[in-house]
Amino acid sequence: MKRHIYADNAATTKLDAEAFAAMKIWLLDEYANASQQYSFARKPRAAIKQAREIIAECINAEPQEIFFTSGGTESDNWAIKSAVLANLNERPHIITSAIEHKAILNSCAAMQNLGCTVTKLPVDARGVVSPDDLASSILPQTKIISVMTANNEIGTIQPVKKLCEIAHEHGKIFHTDAVQAVGHIPIDVKNLGVDMLSASAHKFNAPKGVGFLYVRAGVKLFPYLDGGAQEYGMRAGTENVAAIVGMAVALKKNISALETNQKHIIGLEKLFIRELEENNIPHVRNGAEPTLPGLISLSFDGKDGEKILHRMDLMGISISTGSACDGNKNQISHVLKALNLSESLAKGTIRISLGKNNTLEDVRAIVTALKKVLGD
Amino acid sequence: MKKKLCCECGKALIKDEAALCKKLLGTDTDEFYCIDCFAEYLECDKVDLEIKIQEFKEQGCILFL
Repeated sequence: MKRHIYADNAATTKLDAEAFAAMKIWLLDEYANASQQYSFARKPRAAIKQAREIIAECINAEPQEIFFTSGGTESDNWAIKSAVLANLNERPHIITSAIEHKAILNSCAAMQNLGCTVTKLPVDARGVVSPDDLASSILPQTKIISVMTANNEIGTIQPVKKLCEIAHEHGKIFHTDAVQAVGHIPIDVKNLGVDMLSASAHKFNAPKGVGFLYVRAGVKLFPYLDGGAQEYGMRAGTENVAAIVGMAVALKKNISALETNQKHIIGLEKLFIRELEENNIPHVRNGAEPTLPGLISLSFDGKDGEKILHRMDLMGISISTGSACDGNKNQISHVLKALNLSESLAKGTIRISLGKNNTLEDVRAIVTALKKVLGD
Repeated sequence: MKKKLCCECGKALIKDEAALCKKLLGTDTDEFYCIDCFAEYLECDKVDLEIKIQEFKEQGCILFL
């Protein structure tokens, strides 16, 4: 049987076995609705409380600042829409960056339809937002500034602390989409100073369909889902106890092994780049330091990223691309467009994202496959 | 239009085979393979190529129209 190599850890990660084991009891045995008053609900209620405490500790927050959601997309929607809907009569202004995830960009677009204005900050060729650009874009009616911690396509880590300081100097709320960063690089919300932060569990070896929104105590938050009184009355819906517990177990494990994982993944990344060079494979690496460990965006001039993806797939290797072709025209991702890459480079862009489960053998096999595909 | 032939076995290609070669080798390719020879060339299973064809069609790739 063909060996499968998964090198798309920025898209999702393998569920941690310990997280899965910790989840089972809440699905099969202790399945009570945590909001009920009878004794059968005590254990799931306590499990949610403990998970909230663990997750808060992982990012140096307080437990009451953690709101469980269905994932990064909901967290992002909540942050943007909460800030806007609270001030709708003032025609709020939103500032974000041109390379945000669609969960942010499309939330902003939805708010534009309600009469808001949006400024999308440009990025430089490395994918970095300029603090000066942010400072000059803030308006009296700006209600929220949202800049991602690390980009999902190129891995570039933004100067969030600096951007946040600027936002606060102007008395503005600062949100960061940290979906790609949590569990992979140290995140300390107090040190960063952010007011809100989005995270998604499946990006750090926890189950899909769960995430959280950190909201600093004192920041006014408006309910996103109306209904019951869950999540301090802010996010209605019966809690997904198993997923919440799995998220806490996986995040704690990743944070505990953060340095070890980083060292391993950076070692793989260095080997990958060295192998590319030793095999004389011409490439341009997108993004710039500081970057997410293991996230490698590569452009091959004159090549076709989608073709590379499918050929690698047929060899049992899962990677991602930054462009798609319907046989007629290429659709280049908004991130690559924002970098001002030439069309020839953008079209030939792939993303390889290595994770803690990848091996040296995987990396060598990926380069061998890549060399074969690019040679055709 | 002249029918394309497999560069390995000489078999006349059906439309999907020609489209798959364009998709996986590049739209400017002048090498075309029948699905059996293509699977051998790419060192993969024929069934994987058949699934790819189906997926490309479902995605609306105009090469397969």
